[in-house]
Amino acid sequence: MLMSRLERATEFVSKPVVRKLWTVSFIVFFLCFVIVPTLFVLTYAFTNWGLIQDEVIQDPEIMSQIWTAIGNSFEIAAIVTIIDILVGLPMAWILVRKKFRGKELLDTLIDMPLAVPTAALGFSAAIFWGITPADLTNPLGLKIVSSPFILIILLHIIFSYPYMVRSLAAILEQIDQTFETAGQTLGASKLTAVRTITLPLFRAGLVTGIILCFARSLSETGGTVAALATISNVDFNTAPTLIDSLKSTPALAFTSIVLIILALVLLVIVAIIVKKVHIPFRKVWPRPEKILSRGLSPKLKDATSVLFLVFIVLIPSFFVFTFVFTSEPSTTADWSEFGQSLINSFFIAGVVTVIDLAFGIPLALYIAKNRSKWLPETLDILVNVPLIVPTVALGFSLKLFWTGGTPVTGPFAIFLVMLAHIAFTYPLMVRNVTGAVEEIDPTYEETARTLGAKPVQGFRRVLFPMIKASILAGAIMAFTRSLGETGATRAISTTVLTAPNYIVNLIKLDNDYYTAALACIIVIVISFGLMLALRYLTRRRKGAI
Amino acid sequence: MPEVSLKNITMRFGKVVAVDEVDLTIHDGEYVTILGPSGCGKTTLIRVIAGILEPTQGEVHIAGKSMKGVPIEERDLGYVFQNIALFPHMTVKMNAAYGPTVKDRPMEEREQTARKYLEMVKLLDKMSMFPSELCGGEQQKASLARALATGAKLLLLDEPLSALDARVRVDLRYELRRITKNLGLTVVHVTHDQEEAMSVSDRIVVMRAGGIVESGTPEQLYTRPRDVFTANFVGETNLLEGWVKERHEGGSWIELRDNSVIMVESCDPQVGEAVVVSVRPEFVFPFTDGLLSRIEYLTYLGTFSRVSARSQSDDLVEFDVPSIEGKLYHPGQEVHLMFNRKAAVVYPRPIEGVSEAVKLE
Amino acid sequence: MPVVKLQGIVKQYGNIKASDGVDLEVRNGEYLCLLGPTGAGKTTILRIISGLTKPDHGSVLFDGKPMDKVEPEDRRAVMLSQTYALFPQLTVAENILFGPDIRQYEEEVKERTLADMLDLVRLTHRPDAFPSELSGGMMQRTALARALASGASVLLLDEPLRALDARLRISLRHEVRSLAKSMGITTIHVTHDQDEALVMADRIAVIREGKVVQVGLPGEVFDNPATPFVANFVGQSNFFVGEVEEKKESTSIRGDSGQVVLARPCEQRLGEKVVVGVKVGNTEVHKEGEGYFDGTVERILFEGRNIYLDVDVPGLGRYSSKIPSWRLGRLSVGDRVKINWSADKATVFTMPPEGLEKELRVE
Repeated sequence: MLMSRLERATEFVSKPVVRKLWTVSFIVFFLCFVIVPTLFVLTYAFTNWGLIQDEVIQDPEIMSQIWTAIGNSFEIAAIVTIIDILVGLPMAWILVRKKFRGKELLDTLIDMPLAVPTAALGFSAAIFWGITPADLTNPLGLKIVSSPFILIILLHIIFSYPYMVRSLAAILEQIDQTFETAGQTLGASKLTAVRTITLPLFRAGLVTGIILCFARSLSETGGTVAALATISNVDFNTAPTLIDSLKSTPALAFTSIVLIILALVLLVIVAIIVKKVHIPFRKVWPRPEKILSRGLSPKLKDATSVLFLVFIVLIPSFFVFTFVFTSEPSTTADWSEFGQSLINSFFIAGVVTVIDLAFGIPLALYIAKNRSKWLPETLDILVNVPLIVPTVALGFSLKLFWTGGTPVTGPFAIFLVMLAHIAFTYPLMVRNVTGAVEEIDPTYEETARTLGAKPVQGFRRVLFPMIKASILAGAIMAFTRSLGETGATRAISTTVLTAPNYIVNLIKLDNDYYTAALACIIVIVISFGLMLALRYLTRRRKGAI
Repeated sequence: MPEVSLKNITMRFGKVVAVDEVDLTIHDGEYVTILGPSGCGKTTLIRVIAGILEPTQGEVHIAGKSMKGVPIEERDLGYVFQNIALFPHMTVKMNAAYGPTVKDRPMEEREQTARKYLEMVKLLDKMSMFPSELCGGEQQKASLARALATGAKLLLLDEPLSALDARVRVDLRYELRRITKNLGLTVVHVTHDQEEAMSVSDRIVVMRAGGIVESGTPEQLYTRPRDVFTANFVGETNLLEGWVKERHEGGSWIELRDNSVIMVESCDPQVGEAVVVSVRPEFVFPFTDGLLSRIEYLTYLGTFSRVSARSQSDDLVEFDVPSIEGKLYHPGQEVHLMFNRKAAVVYPRPIEGVSEAVKLE
Repeated sequence: MPVVKLQGIVKQYGNIKASDGVDLEVRNGEYLCLLGPTGAGKTTILRIISGLTKPDHGSVLFDGKPMDKVEPEDRRAVMLSQTYALFPQLTVAENILFGPDIRQYEEEVKERTLADMLDLVRLTHRPDAFPSELSGGMMQRTALARALASGASVLLLDEPLRALDARLRISLRHEVRSLAKSMGITTIHVTHDQDEALVMADRIAVIREGKVVQVGLPGEVFDNPATPFVANFVGQSNFFVGEVEEKKESTSIRGDSGQVVLARPCEQRLGEKVVVGVKVGNTEVHKEGEGYFDGTVERILFEGRNIYLDVDVPGLGRYSSKIPSWRLGRLSVGDRVKINWSADKATVFTMPPEGLEKELRVE
């Protein structure tokens, strides 16, 4: 019997031994290249405790700097998260429950901040809101914010908003609307029904949204650095910007360690509280709630949500476009350097995405299909760790892991930057694909098996077509995330020039605002083009199934 | 005063007309079932009554008042959903007490009401459990108690038993009727199961493709359906195609495809008209004389067996025999079949053909 | 076509025993219905036969060969699930040819198989439709065609008619059985609907709480139930509790309140506490004449072909009788009637240890 090569390959891959080996290999990859390097810096506390003690803890000036910065970061993250919840919830409602023309447009708009690298966002937001120094001609900006604290909050809201809205919308979609309708048939007004029935069912989505938002704000480096530089502020620091400016390894290590531990602890506490706290609803106010459910109130609520989106999130993000038209062109720009930085960014993002696909999809499948076993469950939790760890600390930890702290240059530096980017984009890929696979009825693949298909054939012919769009979404998410990342890149090596780094340097070191703005625009347009591609492809999937 | 009145209700979803100019009146205290195949518009209609859907055209009146612009929560009705929809984060008791709770009634009243209705459906011992701990039938009973606890006089049931096992359905439907009759409620019950409809209803409304086919008591629809679709949908029947040969008061002759003739007692269509005769299997008898047919197969049905035969007139004819006699018949055998002339109903032959007219989906 | 044999199958999920020592043999080309309430463990058995679930103990044999090392894709036991699981991005034709494609049949063979299948399930006019465009009945037939085209030798149907309208189910019962029989394929059909099982099966296996309670021809399971549960689950039954008083050509049983009823000859001893079961279709209700006890007609339920009479017998509870509609005669609600049955239609069961009510419970 002649077997074709494909058949033989299929036979080989389906052997239980080979399958076990394959499983082991990507788990090992995950642990060695993602988890361990991310958390490695924690071991520094044990290996070099003496150094830390001498150089950091005994130095009151550095200590106060560190604690102030960390305090700022956590305060900002908390405020941003709370605001996001308050404005994100009504918007999630509009997205999931309401039908109207232009809903697709709204859907796209909400994701737009994700397409913009945070360095560009930081610059754009700063010139929109902030009071900028004299050498920055900026006729159109609002110029109402002088406090760096408030500016950073406004900035962080912009890029954490999509995370919150998406997490809430994802859970809301899964909650059967029949529950609310049932509440109404029992006499509850819309508001009462939502408050007493739907919201309590929301907790999982709320926890995810809070964790993603908080962690994102805590992590943020590029935009914060750019924004602070734009308003010429040198005194204010968040933890990531502090890490960005620190030079001594023990100080860096200490700050990173504290940041990581506090973030992990806080988020675990939040997860527990939100899951356990029972919002009693014994008290119902029929009349007021009825009034709020109808007429003007809901329309007002919706209008406010949309206005918030437009004025607080979208306009500041794209303000940089107007800047270019209203200020004088600069003559000192080195466009070849910019071009090189773009190429670097795209190259790194491309390689990172490919590796994420190759190693992320198998892990996602493994987790999604083995929900009841301890190893996949543990891996599922671990996958979220790199998302919580501030990327600048992650970058530092990774460098420590691979090089022991010595400076790096050249191709090895680029390689390390890639590893760092893999660390925080890999979870995005895995989460996306795991979520997609879990939504699909396992009966499809099981039926395929009983029809004679081996598991790998079942995957190729049945499961893969159904999750194609989600895989693509994960890939584009990883790509744009890598493209926009600043903190981790700078933590590893300031010599590696990525586009966001280039922009930050223009602002911080050269004060060349015009070129920075132009560079921002170019990066925004490219990233936005990719986002549109994502929308088009995922929309096609909804049509086919 | 009629409890529910629907006038000229039309419901359009884009190009699809789900409900097409339906008029329906349901009287106070009546148990009406809307029966029809999937997609006939019955669920849409009950949602229009509840206010979950606003009709594209037409008016809904409940207890004499127009329901235009009246939101769901103010229509004072109980609704039981097909997928049960018990609030998963609340106990059975809290679910049952939800109606009084959202009207902000005092705590003791909430407690009492919940207990009263849970006892009526015999779930008092499970009131501290969560919905996920109950089995299907119990969940649906809890859902019923919750709907009743609002004190509403109008109860809407949206395929309440479809998700349950066959055996559980049989037990639960008697309870549905018993409890609602005891409370004097007006009930609108939607289902695709004709056996269910016949066992619970005062009146059945048969729907198909967005419109009402006919309405009547279970006995009327079973023994003398006015439409051939109803004849085939409510219960099973034999359909024989032919022409009216002779027509008299008290007895008419119908000529079948092979020129053999059967006699029926009443016949509306005129002589020469193409007709289809409906006779239920229990009214067809093997005899020494009659329509010659060849047995194709037998189906065992417990207390009796159904014999399926193809007549000389090329119609599929089925008749029932007691199971013990089942051995007397076998495939290939020829039998003569007699039809109870009182039980036969004659309809004009539908233009689209009989199989199209009685199509189930 | 293989003989499928299950020996001592045990499968536990946490505290629940989905299968508790199942022994079953399905004959070559047989159409066997696995009948039981939801949660009885029927789907688990199907999954174990197909290889999708591995039993904790016990073995599955096809033609005497143990299947524990054989993967689902090699067992040729095709599963048709309740939701049909038609691959949404493939057309009807592509779905049907999924099995032949995997097994790499030759083109002419595939074409012929497709044409035959489309013809068999009456879908010749819709080969290029997508599952989302099909009605419930059409999806079911496509799924069936796909299963039959795969060249499987065992057909596993998991409540194949459940998702369809009641009236449609009745029409399709005969069709599904004919299709399976025409291919000669060994079929195991899982259902909770006893009407369906009675109509479609060569043999019925009644399952409850993970155990096979009775296996036999439909007539046997209906007329000679092994336990009160089977007596009431396959067809409805009335029950009378008492002690065996006399054993002659028929058995006499005396109840607590003194009534005496007759039943078939039985194995139970004199004085033993027993339960007598009689199908509602065999329970006679008369205004005059003989009867074991009297009662009042509580309710008359018209169900089309049949009428259910509920009679309230003081001290004994409710007795139901199922009679053809035209035999109702002059009976009406409130009439005093006598309940009777012939001895050879009543079965004697040992009193179930947990009591009659628990024994009869369906959920």
